[in-house]
Amino acid sequence: MAAPAPWTPRLPLWVRVFAWLGGQWAFRSERRAARLLQGFACTEEQSQLELRQAARDCPDERRRARYLRHALDETRHAHAFSEHARGLARAAGAAGFAPPSAGCERLYERLGELRFLAFVHVGEQRGRAEFETYARLLRKRGAGATAQLFEDLIADERQHEAYTAQLLNELAGADGARRAVRWVRRWQAWREFRRRGRRLARTLYNVTMLFVYVTLAPFALTLRLFGKPQRGFSREF
Amino acid sequence: MAAILGISGLYHDAAAALVIDGQVVAAIQEERLSRIKNDPSLPRLAVAACLRQGGIRAEDLSAVLFYESPYRKLERVLHWLLQAYPASARHFSKALSAQLGEKLWVLDQVAELVGVPRARVRPTSHHLSHAASAFLVSPYQDAAILTVDGVGEDVTTALYRGTGTRIEPLLSLPYPHSLGLLYAAITAYLGFEVNEGEHKVMGLAALGQPRYRQEFERLIQLHADGSFELAARYFSYEAGGELGFSPALEQLLGPRRTPGTPWALETSEADRRYADVAATLQSVTEDALLELARRAKRETGADALCLAGGVALNAVANRRLLREAGFAHVFVQPAAGDAGGALGAALLGAVEAGDGRPPPLAHVALGEPIKVDEARALAHHLGLSAEQLTDPAASVCELLLQGGIVGVCNGAFEWGPRALGQRSLLALPGSLATRERLNRVIKQREPFRPFAPAVLRERAAEFFSDAPNDLTPFMTSVCDVRPLHRQALAGVTHADGTARVQTVNATAQGLLPAVLSGLERATGVPIALNTSLNGPGEPIVAHATDALAFLSAHAIDGLVIEDYLFRRRS
Repeated sequence: MAAPAPWTPRLPLWVRVFAWLGGQWAFRSERRAARLLQGFACTEEQSQLELRQAARDCPDERRRARYLRHALDETRHAHAFSEHARGLARAAGAAGFAPPSAGCERLYERLGELRFLAFVHVGEQRGRAEFETYARLLRKRGAGATAQLFEDLIADERQHEAYTAQLLNELAGADGARRAVRWVRRWQAWREFRRRGRRLARTLYNVTMLFVYVTLAPFALTLRLFGKPQRGFSREF
Repeated sequence: MAAILGISGLYHDAAAALVIDGQVVAAIQEERLSRIKNDPSLPRLAVAACLRQGGIRAEDLSAVLFYESPYRKLERVLHWLLQAYPASARHFSKALSAQLGEKLWVLDQVAELVGVPRARVRPTSHHLSHAASAFLVSPYQDAAILTVDGVGEDVTTALYRGTGTRIEPLLSLPYPHSLGLLYAAITAYLGFEVNEGEHKVMGLAALGQPRYRQEFERLIQLHADGSFELAARYFSYEAGGELGFSPALEQLLGPRRTPGTPWALETSEADRRYADVAATLQSVTEDALLELARRAKRETGADALCLAGGVALNAVANRRLLREAGFAHVFVQPAAGDAGGALGAALLGAVEAGDGRPPPLAHVALGEPIKVDEARALAHHLGLSAEQLTDPAASVCELLLQGGIVGVCNGAFEWGPRALGQRSLLALPGSLATRERLNRVIKQREPFRPFAPAVLRERAAEFFSDAPNDLTPFMTSVCDVRPLHRQALAGVTHADGTARVQTVNATAQGLLPAVLSGLERATGVPIALNTSLNGPGEPIVAHATDALAFLSAHAIDGLVIEDYLFRRRS
């Protein structure tokens, strides 16, 4: 009897809808397109850092190698996005970008391997859908070079999606994989909620600090009038 | 008897260093392990690695010293936010959020991170940490110590006198008058990343002429007493400008360079202008450092000078200090930037605990060792070939003599920004084609950036003037390549005829001395091109995973890890 086909999660419809709407807005100008691509470069850079951590910490050599290969792909993608973004920015006469940089959330360590894999899988699936949408949209707009960039990366995204689905099923079976993906989707929604909350808190904080700043005017004036200019050597430490 | 952990972080170049019974047991930059270039976080992984290297647990630590005082730093930030009022409006909330939200509580965070009671964690001072990191591992018992960087708590430049284990403060220069911040602002102006592109500016300077001295006199005034003053209107530190310079700088020097634009020094008038700006910056920096060093000599009368702080990584300036400042000896601790503060803090703690000074720094292999078994297991799954070698040095020589570029990993990885043979890419020093291949294909760097030579110490003077000296084992100075040998060393000779030489003891441990001896036997020239084993924008390789990732992604001719040769299958 043939082994059952591995379970793969379905892609929510809203991913393509949002990608289409976002693409319509971003690809209207080269500057915005450049910023979007630089954003992708940073996302790929973060992804490679997370995968490098997984490659370092995973106890199984075969899976370590897969994470490492995946990390190398992400590095290549980050480079390709960044180069293309710079080209678009130059063409638009905009300031260039620094090389992509990102932090590492230590997701492998925090989530454990199964949920980490589910997280990567969901991300790859969404990435592939977005890239396909953008490529179609850009072809229609006649932006062949940028469309080609996305098309070149889609094959990698498919492959990443496939291997992560396979590993998920291998590690946890179909039921376990389904549960992990559900958990990750809930977790991502909660994370997004918190992110928006932080953004709101930051706005409130900035407004509050503006008031504080205004009240500091007399102190600033006093410092200007009576503060000693700091220059030359001092024997004080 | 004490086990002291030193920590730097929360700005850039986070690091940890462990000193047990007065001996430096481990010193590790976080970026090597996190793989985030110039990682600014607290050094979580580096702390764990240091404890592993020392074979101790957190509870065995007598003290944990953070390399600077968060309270004094907050005071400076508040002072300058008010000083720059109302231009600091945009920067105010962000600056306060960084200080009050994170940096002010760093000692608590460190206690939690390391897993020790808060009472065991204490701060030291930024420039004192730098001073200790240079002097206490130097070969001198009596020296002037000069620390020059962007800014510590509220000081940018400091002079100390070191005697035995005592470090006596003499002079300080307050913020914002800072050579580091000047260099950083011009680095940004030239389109490079701050805290990363400064060495590119130094390399670029050799291709320009210092034509902008007059303009720079408006940026920085050098005084006869060795101090200097920056003209605030050209900079934007207090106003929170992300680039560190104000529009006035562009009015003075012309429009800034767009980051990421390819360099065309031969054909682009604008790029030649940028090279001239870099050359002027370099020349002004050298003059300023020279005056500081002369003041240090006058103040202390010492024969030796120890340097630390980010500006001390300026290898070209260090050569001038060695030649012209009047000191018989100059030493720069190889991790002279903020990472070095972790080492300095740990050494200060050890001295305080009565453990005395460690022996002079003989090597920088203070990281974690590479595991060849791990590499072999992983290589199999990555489709790389692995071959055991009977004589690794001979095999490396053979590949090099065939014109190959070979990665080498042996022992513990290096402390500091230079690859000194533990995690290096090696090639023959004579070929411009190899240099091109390395620059364009493998490292994907700007075409003007030079490569360094590693040479057997015993024969260094034959090829390079001023070598060997106390700086050359750590690649912290440049030397003139003797004209007779410039053609034979074309791959490692920079446009100005210099090279950032690393001298290697033939009797030292590790692969590099044996490779250089092998090259000497085969060609008569005991020199190899030695550059760091890392891809563009990446930290230098630390572990087997990183090394094999590098091999998988780059077209080099082989990677030797201890006694195994790894290659990509064709």
